[in-house]
Amino acid sequence: MLYACVYATILLGFFGILLKENLVMKIIAMDVMSTGVIALFVLVAARGGTYTPILSGAPSIAYADPVPQAVILTAIVIGFSIQALMLVAVMKLARDNPTLETRAIEEEYRP
Amino acid sequence: MTTVMMVWLTLPFFVGFSIYLLPQGDRILALLVTLVSMAFAMVLFEQPAPLSWHLLDNFGVTLMADDLSAFFILTNALVTAAVILHCWYSGKTTFFYTQAIILHGSVNAAFICADLISLYVALEVIGIAVFLLIAYPRSDRSLWVALRYLFVSNTAMLFYLMGAALVYLTNQSFSFEALEGAPVEAIALLFVGLLTKGGIFISGLWLPLTHSESETPVSALMSGVVVKAGVFPLVRIALMSEELDPIVRIFGAGTALLGVAYAMFEKDTKRMLAFHTVSQMGFVLAAPEVGGFYALTHGLVKAALFLTAGALPSRSFKELHNQPIHTPIWIALVIASFSISGFPLLSGFGAKVLTMKNLLPWQVIAMNMAALGTAISFAKFIFLPHGPAKEQLVKRGFWPAVLLLLAGLVVANVAYYDAYSLANIAKPLAIIALGWLVYLLIIQRMVVKLPRVLEEFEHLIGVMSVMLMVLFGMVLA
Repeated sequence: MLYACVYATILLGFFGILLKENLVMKIIAMDVMSTGVIALFVLVAARGGTYTPILSGAPSIAYADPVPQAVILTAIVIGFSIQALMLVAVMKLARDNPTLETRAIEEEYRP
Repeated sequence: MTTVMMVWLTLPFFVGFSIYLLPQGDRILALLVTLVSMAFAMVLFEQPAPLSWHLLDNFGVTLMADDLSAFFILTNALVTAAVILHCWYSGKTTFFYTQAIILHGSVNAAFICADLISLYVALEVIGIAVFLLIAYPRSDRSLWVALRYLFVSNTAMLFYLMGAALVYLTNQSFSFEALEGAPVEAIALLFVGLLTKGGIFISGLWLPLTHSESETPVSALMSGVVVKAGVFPLVRIALMSEELDPIVRIFGAGTALLGVAYAMFEKDTKRMLAFHTVSQMGFVLAAPEVGGFYALTHGLVKAALFLTAGALPSRSFKELHNQPIHTPIWIALVIASFSISGFPLLSGFGAKVLTMKNLLPWQVIAMNMAALGTAISFAKFIFLPHGPAKEQLVKRGFWPAVLLLLAGLVVANVAYYDAYSLANIAKPLAIIALGWLVYLLIIQRMVVKLPRVLEEFEHLIGVMSVMLMVLFGMVLA
């Protein structure tokens, strides 16, 4: 069930990138898609349990797998820095193309 | 040896950021880094066994460097060095060199990764550095081209990341070995990411516009090395896994034909070269065993061609026919065109012979067709009029860069001098002669405008989902 929700999020994000006209909306859709992918990693990590894996003398309980979580942390940082970079570019583009419609921008800058 | 590898791997990033503190020495520092890479590649060729390295325990970063990586690293070093020489007198700011060196470092990292996540990080850093390099002129147009690139590449990498998660779910490991026995959807997702990043087949159609609309040195850098960061993992995977090898080979043949078909009818020099990148990557993938050498020669020749095309008075072939180009530039252009068509004495010949020898039977016809198409489209450059032109200004720094690349093409012959046998020499010559004949008789007179629909932004994203379905079917079969 949770997996279905995660895949639905990813798919919705992807269709957003595909179908939205406005560049800012496209970027937001990409954020939705990457949120979905992050959720997938969290879900994969929670396969064996949901407890925070902290090394201590306590009796062993069902820990979450720390590897995917560590990995996705890197991916989150990369994803947000790319998003920031894109938004800066869009801000600059918006000065001459106030509507930010992809199709119009593409027509304009075609060789 | 692993210490040397670590120092070499981190040096570009260290230098890249310290260039800001020493802005006067930016070019020299950048060039030094490429020299270190060159030396490291040479040392790597001498190693008897592949170097591998595990950071932390079995969940950490794994690196592996062997002969294949050495070829790619050498390509990266030579092309980056040539681009820096080309920009030497152009007054580029420190920012440009910082990005170029960080790009160099991350491409190097991609060439020695042995697990999916380090590769992901390397590819994303490449994406960001390339974005900044394309957007360097700060014009609206360059911003749009850069944004389009980053968008396509990031969407592809999200698919890749999904694939990585699914691989981990089955095998509890991110290393390349874990691909064995991974579920179908995981492999399809990973391949969509890598194929898009490497500019292969229809998912690589973002490439022509991006590579042709960037500045000359950036185009050379992108076509020369950056696409290879996506191709290298595919070669690695094909070599490691029996069942995935045919898929990589099919895409190799497909992209070789697709790229060349577009290139034959292209009327714009830089776009033609970009389409040829799509096609030549196919030759690298078609015979993964010897892909390293082909990648080296392609990197050198394509960087030289892009730099030379940037020095021509016009980008349109039609205008170039009425405007004789300066003879020395023409000679450089012809040497590079000969190498890419596979003419003996240049290393393009050895690479092509070696690739043709390692093809599977069903690939032979397709790859020979692609080689013929290459000869046809490069006849466009060879038959351009030339003469002792009146005052054509070539940028200072143009000649050192191009000479370095062309010298590399000649010297790289030593890698496979067994190729020089009579039968081997006759075949490429026949292909080239046939190609010129077809060009002079047919192609030159034809005016075909191929539609550019597939290159529109939305279609680029849409094609990814189509490719996902296709790959799913292929892995399942």
